[in-house]
Amino acid sequence: MRTDEKVQEVTGIQAADIEAALDPAEAEGVYRDSRQAAALALLSGATKLLLSPPTPRPKKG
Amino acid sequence: MEQSGTSTRLQAAVQDLASGVVSALRGGGHAHVVPPVGTDGEAGDLALAAVRVLGADALLPGLLSRTPPDPAELAVFRKAVEAYPPRGDAAPTVRWSHWAMARTLRRADPSSAEPPHEPDTAWLDGATWQVLTHQLAVLAPLALPGEDCAVSRLAAGRPVDVARGFVRAVRRRDWRQAAGAGRWLTLLPGVPDTVGLDTGLDFVELMGGQDPLVALQVQAARRMRTGARG
Amino acid sequence: MSAPADPHRTHRIAGALRAAAADALAWTDSRRADFALGEDALASDGEVDRSWKPLGELAQVCATVARLTEPADPLHARARGLLDFAWQETHEGELFLRLQRLEPFATYPLEVYSVFASAGLRHPAFEQAGAVVARTRGWRLTEQDPTRRLGVLRAEERCGIHRFGQTPPELPQTWLGGLPEPWTFGRDAGYALTHVVFHLADWGRDASALPPDLAVYLRDWLPPWLDTCLEAGLWDLAGELLAVAAIAARTTGEEVPADDWRRLLAARGPSGEVPLNDRDLDELAAGPGSDGDRYFLHHYHSTLMAVFAAVLAVTRPAGRAAPAAAGRPGGQGAPS
Repeated sequence: MRTDEKVQEVTGIQAADIEAALDPAEAEGVYRDSRQAAALALLSGATKLLLSPPTPRPKKG
Repeated sequence: MEQSGTSTRLQAAVQDLASGVVSALRGGGHAHVVPPVGTDGEAGDLALAAVRVLGADALLPGLLSRTPPDPAELAVFRKAVEAYPPRGDAAPTVRWSHWAMARTLRRADPSSAEPPHEPDTAWLDGATWQVLTHQLAVLAPLALPGEDCAVSRLAAGRPVDVARGFVRAVRRRDWRQAAGAGRWLTLLPGVPDTVGLDTGLDFVELMGGQDPLVALQVQAARRMRTGARG
Repeated sequence: MSAPADPHRTHRIAGALRAAAADALAWTDSRRADFALGEDALASDGEVDRSWKPLGELAQVCATVARLTEPADPLHARARGLLDFAWQETHEGELFLRLQRLEPFATYPLEVYSVFASAGLRHPAFEQAGAVVARTRGWRLTEQDPTRRLGVLRAEERCGIHRFGQTPPELPQTWLGGLPEPWTFGRDAGYALTHVVFHLADWGRDASALPPDLAVYLRDWLPPWLDTCLEAGLWDLAGELLAVAAIAARTTGEEVPADDWRRLLAARGPSGEVPLNDRDLDELAAGPGSDGDRYFLHHYHSTLMAVFAAVLAVTRPAGRAAPAAAGRPGGQGAPS
C-alpha cells in the first residue's frame, strides 16, 4: 500500500510539497530595538540623557 | 521552486485546519478535522494533505481531553497517514512526523497496527542548541504528556538548551519556533525557573497569535501546563 | 551533557584573542589624538560625550588591561602608556578639580576620576573636594537610573568615600538584578545589564564578586543574547556581552564561547578595529573625504570593549579552579 502509486492518486499536491512543509528552514530573524534612548551613560554626561556606548554621530554640515 | 502556488495553497489549508484545532482546544469540544463528507477532487486532496502536514496535532483536542475521536475523523486521519508515507530520502522531521501520526492512530484505535520502529535521532545528537530547538519546534506534535520517544528523551537531556532556544526565537520574532519550543518546555524537567514560561507563552500569543499555527502550540502548551498542575 | 574542555581548542582561541586584543589596542593607540581633550573640555556648552566619555572609557579599559596582564606582556606596556597619556590629558588630575568647581553637583567628574584612582593615579585635592559634596543629602538623592547609581557607588568606593557591598540595595532595582524573563532582552536592556556587571565586578578588578544567583542566571541566558546580537550585527553590545561572559565564567567556570568570538572577530575592520554595528557602515565608507572623526566615533567604543572582553577572557586571577565540571546542567550543549 505504501507505494508511489498511492501518492500519485492524490493529484496536485505532491509528496515533495508535503515533505517541504514538514522540513521547513528556519525563518529569518527580525530585529527591531526601541527608539527610546536608554537613560544610561557609560561613565559621564550628567546633563543629558545619553545612550550608553554609541556616542551620537556628529551632526552633518 | 515552481511549486510556490501549491505550497501557498497548502499553507492556507494547514492554517485553516489549525484554526479549527485551536477553537477546539480553547472551547474544550471537538474540532471537526475532517472535511465535509463527500468532498473529493482537489479540495479533498488539499484537506488530506493539510491533515498530513498538521500531523498528530490534528487529533490533539481529543488526545488532551481523552475523548475518543469521531470515527469519520479517524478515517481521514488514517487515510492521510497511508497516503503520505515518508519517501526514501525523507528528512528526519518528515519521518518523525509520520511516526507521530502512526502512534496517535494506535492510541486512538488500539486495534490499529503497532507504529513502526522509531526513526533515529542521529541528526540531533551533535546539534547546537539553536538547531536543536528549531527541529524540536518543528516536531512539537511529539511533545505530549505521558508520551515518550527518542526525541523527547533527547530533549529531556537538554532543557536549558531548549530554554535558550525559546529566548532566541522570541528575540528573533520567530513566533512559530517560540511557540513550539514553549510547548516542549512545559514538559521538560530542569528548565530554569527564571525563564518565565507562563508570561512567555502569553507574550508569544500576543505577538504571533494571529497565526493559527502559533496559537495552536501556545494553547497546547497551556493545556499541558494546567494538566500537569491540576 | 556539557562539552569536556578541549585543551587544544582553548589554547587556539586564547591565541586568537590575544592577537585580537593586541591589534585592537594598537589601533586605539594610533587614534590617540582623537581621544585628546579638546579646547571645549571645560566649556559650558562642550559635549561631554565627545570628550570626557571617550577619555574615561579609554582609561578604564587600559587600567583593567594593565591590572590583568604581566608587566612583561606587550599589552601591558601599551595599556599603561595609554593610561598615562589619558592622565596627562587631565593635567594629572588638575582638570577634575577645575571641573568640580564648575559643576560641583555633577557625578561624572568623580566617575571618570575614579578610573584613574583605581590605577593609583590620584589628585588628593580633588578627592577632598568631592568628599565634601558627597556628604550632602542632595548627592545621595541625585536622580539616576539604578544602573548609573551603581557606577557612582563604585566610583565612591574607589575614592575611599564609601564601601561597596557585594549586593548593594540598588541591585534589585536594575533590570538584571531583578532576574527578569530572559526573553525580555533587547538592546537597551542589554546595555544596562552589561554595566551592572561591570560595576559589580569593578571592571575586572573584582571579577569573582558577582552574587552566585546572578552568575548562574548569566550563564543560562548569555548564549541566546550573544547569538542574536551577533546575528543582528550589534558588534558593540556583543563585545560587552562577551566581557560579561568572561566575568561570569570566573564564578561558573564556563569555557570561552569560541564560536561567538569568531563571529565578532570576523566583523573587524582592516586594522583590527570593531565597528559599532552594521548600520551606517556603508554610509561611512562612502562619505566624502577622510571622515576620520565619524570613523573614530563609529569604532572607538566597540574596539575598546573588544580589548576589554578579550583580555578578561584570556586572563584568570591566579589560583582559580579549572573550568566547567562535566554534568553541570548549565554547561549543556554539544561541542560546536
